[in-house]
Amino acid sequence: MKEIVLENTLPKVFVQVKDLQSEVWNHHVTFEKERLYLVEANSGTGKSSLCSYIFGYRKDYEGRILFDGADIAQFKTRHWVNIRKKSLSLLWQELRLFPELTAMENVDIKNKLTGQQSKQQIESWFEQLGIADRMHAKIGRMSFGQQQRVALIRALCQPFDFIFVDEPISHLDDTNSQIVGELLTTEAKRQGAGVIVTSIGKHIELNYDKVLKL
Amino acid sequence: MNLVWKLLRQHISIPQFAGFFFANLVGMTIILLGLQFYTDTQAIYQSEDSFMKADYLIVNKRISSMTTITGKSSAFTLPEVQDLDQQEFVERVGLFTSSAYDVKASFRLDEKTSFSTEMFFESVPDEFVDVKSDDWGYQQGSREVPIILPRNYLDLYNFGYAQSRNMPKLSEGILGAIRLKIELSGGGVRDEYEGRIVGFSSRLNTILVPQDFMDWANEYYAGTKTKSPTRLIVEVNNPTDDRITSYLQDNDYETDQDKLDASKQTFLLRIIVGIVMGVGLVISILSFYILMLSVYLLVEKNSTKLENLLLIGYSPARVSMPYQLLTIGLNVLVLAIAIVAMLAVRNVYLEMFESFFPDFETPGIMTTLLAGVCLLVVVSILNVIAIKSKVMSIWKRKD
Repeated sequence: MKEIVLENTLPKVFVQVKDLQSEVWNHHVTFEKERLYLVEANSGTGKSSLCSYIFGYRKDYEGRILFDGADIAQFKTRHWVNIRKKSLSLLWQELRLFPELTAMENVDIKNKLTGQQSKQQIESWFEQLGIADRMHAKIGRMSFGQQQRVALIRALCQPFDFIFVDEPISHLDDTNSQIVGELLTTEAKRQGAGVIVTSIGKHIELNYDKVLKL
Repeated sequence: MNLVWKLLRQHISIPQFAGFFFANLVGMTIILLGLQFYTDTQAIYQSEDSFMKADYLIVNKRISSMTTITGKSSAFTLPEVQDLDQQEFVERVGLFTSSAYDVKASFRLDEKTSFSTEMFFESVPDEFVDVKSDDWGYQQGSREVPIILPRNYLDLYNFGYAQSRNMPKLSEGILGAIRLKIELSGGGVRDEYEGRIVGFSSRLNTILVPQDFMDWANEYYAGTKTKSPTRLIVEVNNPTDDRITSYLQDNDYETDQDKLDASKQTFLLRIIVGIVMGVGLVISILSFYILMLSVYLLVEKNSTKLENLLLIGYSPARVSMPYQLLTIGLNVLVLAIAIVAMLAVRNVYLEMFESFFPDFETPGIMTTLLAGVCLLVVVSILNVIAIKSKVMSIWKRKD
């Protein structure tokens, strides 16, 4: 996948809103590979909705979303499974980890599906993010900041053309935020992928190619 | 798969699945047992008279004092036969042909004892006689005639004559080996034949010879081909049909009523077994319902996990698989145990059957096994489809 285009996309709940101030909703927006985007948003402007639409999880929008010119509203189940496995990665704001599994198992459940990363690579990420000692702890017993880092590792365990990270550092200190930024950009560069970071305030300091106000 | 199973086995309710397991086991066992019992009892009914099916009736006109006095014929006329043939409950009608010549039969048991008697022959069309065609038939010029005797004759000898004279009792097999000496005479000709007993019938109270032989002998010894029949053999589609009884009464006909009762018994047995199997089926359907409810509940309780698995790239087919395998595994286990239970119960009643009916030949269990497997396949397919569609409803969440 080379580009994602939003063509006058607008959440249905915003249809009645008169003076919508947005550079994304109801505009023509293109996300390209190998570029870095920051989508800044205030609460309630539909940041998570945007991620859900692009991930085929929700369909309550008007306008069109195109992957390489193809309208995603027409995609079949099999197509979506393939996209989620091979083309698009998403770090959800609510993380969507499995509390019954350990941190490592949460990463493994994804990596076994894609076979993307080596065990050493995953372990080194745990090290770099300072949670190596929590590798075999149940997710339910970890802090949200620690969980955020596990969710990031999981998001990196697949091939992707674009990676969406929805508020990835909301619960992290500056040092860890910087490491997250480095891991993210390094892996994206290695894969030649586009990165879309969303934030409602605090965001990773990176050389963004484009900043959009939602 | 291990991690997925570790996730999805959460919230599995052992009591619910145990409930399904035992309910389905009871249902399945009843169905299999009913089917097998029916197959086994059919074998008994069929072995009772191998020459005639239960659905044959023998019809004659009622003979009263009046008919004797007035000399009214007890033979059926052609229109009467045609009328009977046209009734809805009738499949086909065959005419009894009786001998128009003299028959004298004798056989020797030992040096001292021999029997000799005047008798008669009758025949019915060959399609009504269920004997291998090699045994039943007559080649012109042959001196050997196959014969079917009424079983009453054997009983009369064994329990009457032999008992009172301290003579050995004869089995069907021994008597079958004895040759009857038969003398036919008529039109000034007298010939000797050898009668070969091919069997005994409890349904036909007459001495039966092949139709070919009868036609030829009537022509040869009496110069006549047909004589109006006094008895008819009728194949009906359902011997318990009320219309049969009322038709017979209206026309003043009689039938071998007790035989009608015997076929009523098989019919009743069929209904009872049908009801029992129906109960089994209802239990099975209810247990299937319990299973589906349990699985739905499980999917509902694990819906967040399922949704997250789908969002990280697992296909609906892949996340459905653990539950599908679980239900198929349970179904297979139920069938296996039900078959074992069925065989155990069958062993008990087969012993009884064999003591009551020494000639009983044990039928196979293939039909029952096949039915069980078919049921398993149908139920499993329904389970697989239901689980997949439930998972798909999570996939297609609507906001």
